[in-house]
Amino acid sequence: MHGGGHERGMRSGTLATHQIVGMGEAFRIAREEMATENERIRMLRDRLYNGLNDMEEVYVNGDLEHRIAGNLNISFNFVEGESLIMALRDLAVSSGSACTSASLEPSYVLRALGRNDELAHSSIRFTIGRFTSAEEIDYTIELVRAAVEKLRDLSPLWDMYKDGIDLNSIEWAAH
Amino acid sequence: MAYSEKVLDHYENPRNVGVLEDDDSVGTGMVGAPACGDVMKLQIKVSDAGIIEDAKFKTYGCGSAIASSSLVTEWVKGKSLDEAAEIKNTHIAEELALPPVKIHCSVLAEDAIAAAIDNYRSKKQ
Repeated sequence: MHGGGHERGMRSGTLATHQIVGMGEAFRIAREEMATENERIRMLRDRLYNGLNDMEEVYVNGDLEHRIAGNLNISFNFVEGESLIMALRDLAVSSGSACTSASLEPSYVLRALGRNDELAHSSIRFTIGRFTSAEEIDYTIELVRAAVEKLRDLSPLWDMYKDGIDLNSIEWAAH
Repeated sequence: MAYSEKVLDHYENPRNVGVLEDDDSVGTGMVGAPACGDVMKLQIKVSDAGIIEDAKFKTYGCGSAIASSSLVTEWVKGKSLDEAAEIKNTHIAEELALPPVKIHCSVLAEDAIAAAIDNYRSKKQ
């Protein structure tokens, strides 16, 4: 046997042969299906976006065109991200809110995209994949709309916005 | 995120959400900051005898923040200002079974009570 005699002399070398074969197969499937799959996912993502973008004070984080087909990251102003996730318990989504990482700082990524702290705290990331259906998208739209409305009813910041108060002009008593 | 039953209950059925007319019998405390992801507004209506007759809240924040402020509006009703000032964040945290990372929500709720009482008292001067 040429080599170090690994694998009890079956074959030398420590290459993970099965994984290499699997990777090759995955690439073959991707080459054949990626283009159509991407289009399908993009349509679902756009369906989700269109179901939400007529609401007041909704902001997409990042460029809508130059972004992967399955991602939608939106901020719903005056609603805190984690409280929105609580309403979306049935869904696997994530928030830019840093409460989930035990830090009180908002997402540095969203800040780098130009979002102020408040919009960064109010963001939700939806990702769509191979197994997402149109029904799930429609269900999500309903759930999100209802939750945002309910949480805006709870929000002092929404009240202030409705009263025409500029939140940047307030001296907040933070600690 | 492991929310306690009580936090979920306050989130689904928040108590005393709303706004009180801002007159001399009402104290308003607003604490926190949007940059921190937590803003609580607590209002108390105080009778001539110095008893809190009504309380309302509005909160921008996570489930624990909403629950803490909702709970506080329940607890202050019927109390005198001094009694309300004795409510400590530890009581709130215990009642809601808040995990360590959410203790600051109960602290903010305690601050909101103090701010509302302060505001009411400043009007009486």
